[in-house]
Amino acid sequence: MTSNRSKNGAGMIEFRGVNKWFGALNVLKDITLSVEPREVVVVCGPSGSGKSTLIRCINGLETIRDGDLVVDGQRLGDPATNMTRLRTEIGFVFQSFNLYPHKTALENVTLAPIHVRKIPRAEAEKAGRELLAKVGLADKVNAYPAQLSGGQQQRVAIARCLGMRPKIMLFDEPTSALDPEMISEVLDVMVAVAEEGMTMMVVTHEMGFARKVAQRVVFMDAGAIVESGTPEEFFSHPKTDRSRAFLSKILRH
Amino acid sequence: MAIPDTSHYCLLTTAYSLTMLENFSFRTIVEYLPLFGQGLVTTVWLSLLSFAGALAVGIVLAAMNLQRGWLFRVPAKAYIDAVRATPLLAQLYFLYFGLPRLGIILPELVVGILALSLNSGAYVAEIIRAGILSIPRGQVEAGVASGMTYVQRMRLVILPQAFKVTIPPLLGQAIVLVKDSALLSLIAVAELTRAGQLLASDRFMPAEGFVTIAAFYLLLYYGLKGLAALSGRWLGLAGART
Repeated sequence: MTSNRSKNGAGMIEFRGVNKWFGALNVLKDITLSVEPREVVVVCGPSGSGKSTLIRCINGLETIRDGDLVVDGQRLGDPATNMTRLRTEIGFVFQSFNLYPHKTALENVTLAPIHVRKIPRAEAEKAGRELLAKVGLADKVNAYPAQLSGGQQQRVAIARCLGMRPKIMLFDEPTSALDPEMISEVLDVMVAVAEEGMTMMVVTHEMGFARKVAQRVVFMDAGAIVESGTPEEFFSHPKTDRSRAFLSKILRH
Repeated sequence: MAIPDTSHYCLLTTAYSLTMLENFSFRTIVEYLPLFGQGLVTTVWLSLLSFAGALAVGIVLAAMNLQRGWLFRVPAKAYIDAVRATPLLAQLYFLYFGLPRLGIILPELVVGILALSLNSGAYVAEIIRAGILSIPRGQVEAGVASGMTYVQRMRLVILPQAFKVTIPPLLGQAIVLVKDSALLSLIAVAELTRAGQLLASDRFMPAEGFVTIAAFYLLLYYGLKGLAALSGRWLGLAGART
C-alpha cells in the first residue's frame, strides 16, 4: 500500500521514520524526508552527522534498521524489491571517485551499460563518447584514471553514472577530495545535470551550488534532520542555534 | 648406525680442485643432451599443466575462503592448513602409494601433476585471497552502485585488478612449483631431475648430471622472471592506482 501511494506521483525518494544504528550509535534518527521528482536537495551538516549514511541508504550501500524507505515506488528491504535492478536507476558519485583503474575513461562509462543494461557495445560507446564530451573530456576517452586529475576523474565518474540513464543521482561530497581549482569544473557539470531535470540529493558544503540549483537544503546534526528550507532561507536566516553555529564556521573564510 | 668419517675429504679437496676440470666430462653431458632435453620439455609442460591446475584449485579455494558463511570457509581453511603443514613429498607418496590401496590407480605422471596442483593450489589460494582483499572497498561499492551482481563485480572489477597485484607472487609460486617438480623423479617421472639421476647412475657422474640440471633450472627461472617483467610492462598503465 505504501508503495502504491508513492507510485502515484508522491516522492521519488521517501524516508518515513527511518532509524539506523552502527552498534550502539544511532546514526540516523527518525528521518522523515520526501524528495520529489526533478527536485535537487542539498544535504549539509557537520562531519559525522549522518549525511553520507543518509544517501548511502537510498541505494542500499547501507541498510536501515526500521522505518520505511521507498525509492522510485519500491520499498527497500521488501522481498519484492529487486535491489540490483533498482540500483541501475540510481547513480552514485563517491567522494573518492572510485573509478576502475584498469579501465579507460570510456570503458569506465560503458562497463555497466554493456554488462548490466545489456546495451550493444557500439551503442554504449557512442553514448559514452557523447557523455564524456558533455563533461568536457572528449579528448580523454582513452586515458586511464591515473592519467587524469582529480577534477577530471570526478567528471568521468559523473559521466559513468549518467551512462546508466538513471532517474536519481546521489552525490556524496563530490568535491571534498579535490584541489580548490578543480572544484568549479565538477560543480559546473553537476549544475548542468540538475538543469536537465535530474532528481538529485547532494551532500556538499558548496553553498554557491546550493543557491544556484537546489530547491531545498537539509541540515543534519547528530543523525537527525534539524532544519530544512530553501537555500535562501537556510543560508540567510538559519532557524536553529546548531545551524547558525555550523554556517558561521563554513562561512568564515 | 655409524656416522661415516668424512675427514679425509678435506685432505683431498685441494687435490680434487686441481684435477676437477680434467675429471669433469663435458663430452658426456653433450652425449646426454637429448635426454636432458626430453627431461626439460617434460618438466616444462608438466609444470605448466600443474600450474594451471593450481590456479583452478586456488581460485575455487580463495572463493570458498572469502565467503561469509562457515560452510565453505571452514573446509577451505582446513585444506589449506593441511597442505601447508605437511611436506610435499609426504603428499606425493600418499597419492602415489596410498591411492592405489584405495582402489584408485593412476599413471605416475597424472599422480605427479595432481600432487603439484593440489599442493601449489593451497598457496595460490592464499595469494589470490590476499590480492582480492587488497582491492579497495570503494571498487566493490562502485560496482554495487551501478547494479552489478556479485559475479559481474568479481569478473569485471575485482579479479582483473587482483590479478595484476598477484602476478609477482604467482610467478614466485610458479618458480617454486618448477623446483618442486623435481620430486616427481622419485616416482619415476622422466623429468629433468630424473635425467640427472640417470647420468649419475649410468655413468657414475653425479657432478655432471646435477650441474647440468641446475643450469637448466636456472634457465627456467630466468624465463619465468623475464615473463614477470614482460607482464608487468604489459599491464603497467592499465592498472596504475590513483
